[in-house]
Amino acid sequence: MLVTGKRNLLTYTIAFVFILALNFLLPRMMPGDPLTAIYGDEALVAMTPALKARLVARFALDQPLWRQFGAYIAALFRGDLGWSYSFNAPVLKVILGALPWTLLVVGTSLILSTILGIVLGIESGWRRGSKIDRAMLAGLMSLNGFPDFFLGLVLLVVFGVLLGIAPLSGALTPYSSLSGQALILDVLKHMALPVAALTIAHLAGGYLLTRNTMITVLKAPFMLTAKAKGLSQNVIKYRHAGRNSMLPVLTMTGISLGRVVAGALFVELVFAYPGVGQLTYQALLSRDYPVIQGVFLMMAVSVLVANFAVDLLYPKLDPRVSHAH
Amino acid sequence: MLEIRGLRVSYGNDTVLNGLDLDLADGEALAIIGESGAGKTTLGMSIMRLADAGIQGSIRFNGEDIFTLSDEQMREIRWNRISMLFQNVNNVLNPVHRVLDQVAEPIVEHKLRSKGGALDRAGELLTRFGLPTERFSAYPHQLSGGEQQRVLLAMALANDPDLLIMDEPLSSLDVTTRQELGELLRNIDGHRAKLVITHDLDTASRLSEKLAVLYGGRIVETGSTREVLINPRHPYTRALIRAYPNMTTVKDMQGIKGRMTRPVSGCPFHPRCTQAMEKCSSEVPRLNQNHGRWVACHRGGIVTLLSVVNLSKQFNLLKAVDSVSLHIEAGETLALVGQSGSGKTTLAKILMGLYTPSKGGIYLEGKKVEKREKDFYRRVQMIFQNPGESLSHRLSILELVMEPLEVQGIGTKEERREKAIQTIGEVELPQTKTFLNTYPHHLSGGELQRVAIARALVLDPDLLIADEPTAFLDAGIGAKILKLMLNLQECRGLSMLYITHDVAAARKMSDRIAVMLDGLIIEEGPSSEIVASPRQSYTKRLLASASSLHYLDKTSVK
Repeated sequence: MLVTGKRNLLTYTIAFVFILALNFLLPRMMPGDPLTAIYGDEALVAMTPALKARLVARFALDQPLWRQFGAYIAALFRGDLGWSYSFNAPVLKVILGALPWTLLVVGTSLILSTILGIVLGIESGWRRGSKIDRAMLAGLMSLNGFPDFFLGLVLLVVFGVLLGIAPLSGALTPYSSLSGQALILDVLKHMALPVAALTIAHLAGGYLLTRNTMITVLKAPFMLTAKAKGLSQNVIKYRHAGRNSMLPVLTMTGISLGRVVAGALFVELVFAYPGVGQLTYQALLSRDYPVIQGVFLMMAVSVLVANFAVDLLYPKLDPRVSHAH
Repeated sequence: MLEIRGLRVSYGNDTVLNGLDLDLADGEALAIIGESGAGKTTLGMSIMRLADAGIQGSIRFNGEDIFTLSDEQMREIRWNRISMLFQNVNNVLNPVHRVLDQVAEPIVEHKLRSKGGALDRAGELLTRFGLPTERFSAYPHQLSGGEQQRVLLAMALANDPDLLIMDEPLSSLDVTTRQELGELLRNIDGHRAKLVITHDLDTASRLSEKLAVLYGGRIVETGSTREVLINPRHPYTRALIRAYPNMTTVKDMQGIKGRMTRPVSGCPFHPRCTQAMEKCSSEVPRLNQNHGRWVACHRGGIVTLLSVVNLSKQFNLLKAVDSVSLHIEAGETLALVGQSGSGKTTLAKILMGLYTPSKGGIYLEGKKVEKREKDFYRRVQMIFQNPGESLSHRLSILELVMEPLEVQGIGTKEERREKAIQTIGEVELPQTKTFLNTYPHHLSGGELQRVAIARALVLDPDLLIADEPTAFLDAGIGAKILKLMLNLQECRGLSMLYITHDVAAARKMSDRIAVMLDGLIIEEGPSSEIVASPRQSYTKRLLASASSLHYLDKTSVK
């Protein structure tokens, strides 16, 4: 186990270095002036010879490639991801401004869809073949067919426009300078619809996986043991069947965890929610390469960290895994 | 405490248990034995009301029919009153929970103790059944098969049930663990009733006082474990014991004819039974008491084919046979062992009607044999020591084998020919034209003896008297002849009176041995007992001088 852990860590380090190198090399491998590649055409409009000299020095563009890489790494460790000309602010600050909103909305919906998916999957699998099971299966399968932004639009029209009980856009009521409880309530109100859209759209995956595993698990010999022990139905259903059925879903969720920071592009656009997805969209429109690269780096690192965490946690969830190596 | 009446369990069209009756008293240890597919596990599951099948009949536990209870009432009975030591198959324990928690779980869930108290009791039980403390928090897959069995056992006893059902409790274990756990299981508190479900006769003999033999969804024989295993009365039970390798019996292992099929009308065993009658295929036999044993058989269990009562033969002053009483059961080999001149052959000749007895009687299936007519020889045949002398040199092989049929006037010529050729095949001789037309003097001793056996078998007799059938043969050929005879016994249910001076051969061939000396039967009993603990000094001498490969070792010990 310890050896495997070490080997895992090595694998992740190699992957991390590879990502850094890619992030570093890509703009420099593009044809033309690397400064254009790093900053985009629009930035060059404001370029003065003095600024250009400063930038060349900063990126060590007049030095050999390995020195440039050294400078790049050193800048990363200072938290310097570059300067965004379209936002006129350091890239790190721009990203950190959007990140909490994304974490709030996408993270919440991921947790909700996982829990709901598992619970619905357990209940549905337990009643396999019954009317309720078939209704749930059909319902969730058809919901699964709709893209998340479409669900977002429907929710927006129904709850925002027709019923008028939810705000139409944004993460906060602008210029309201709320604080305390009122602020929390306002945030919750704004996130309700995007969270709902994302949760519903991503519910089916976890549900189907849990249901299928549940049906297999119900045939396992230990289920008969549990019944013979005279346990109550809920204990049998959740502690014995459910606990074994949620394992694959947790793996799936763990892997998607890393992608939470990427935000939910379409849903954030629909609700004009100021998250990373929205930021990426704007950066793409204005060819703000430093921001795009920053988001890319952050995403890659998050995915790595999330996978690593899942690797460490999984043996705790399924004790057989550590044995299997 | 447990009373099962007319239990029928079927999965779809497949009826696994078919009208099963069973009683279990407080504190009694009963073993149910049967082959895989006999419905043993289904029975255990039905008692727990866990069989997912169509069920008829009743199972009364302390007077209450469990099929009339509500789910909630049944839940209270499970594990508190009736618990199960599950067969140790993969994943019978939940793979994601620690074993200590799994043992404690039923105590907590049935609210017998607090969480802490339950864990303490679980720990005590695990310790009692020999799981080291440091393994308590292990997961099932981290334990060996033996350790898992200890966990299952501790778990089964967690709620101190009144009835413990054990499904193959020792089957997956290596011999030493088996010995240790067997002892533990035997000594778990006496007040508890135990139902052991197993295919393994050793497990049954270790763990039970009473034994019930399950076949085709019914109990075919039940009685005290010791009695049933030493002296089985149902043909199936005897076949099961003959097929089971063990250190007690000495006869060569024999398989059971045919295979288990479902559904079968009448007696479930009749297609494989060698003493089946017409009635057996139409009517289901009930369990009836017969000499202190319950047997479900239309023929009252294994039939006594031939009995000899107080038989004597005197030649002038010599008492060649002196008040001999013997019996031979259907499908059984009785070995008559003694030195030459002890009267063995004289006895055989009296049986065959070659000598008239001075006193006493011979009974064939209970009917006294007065005058021997064709019918008698159709059922009792004999083969002799020297086939070269007993076969006519003027007849071809085919004619020799056809002759008994002609004497009996059975069938047309063509049918006789066919039957003879078929029998020649059965004794593993070639059926080619050349061979059928050869004369005895062209054949070897082994081939001649086979021809003699074919001649005897062509009439489909019930009893074969074999007087030193291998005396004139090399060991290699002799062994083949003896094996052939055992195989015929397995397929046809042939009874044999095997006359020999060789105890070593008798012990491999026979179910029982009778030792004869100076015209008297001085000792008689199951072969294993005669060989292991002879009572008469003559028998001991006979055994000591029997063929051995370590003769010097044997004499130097003395």
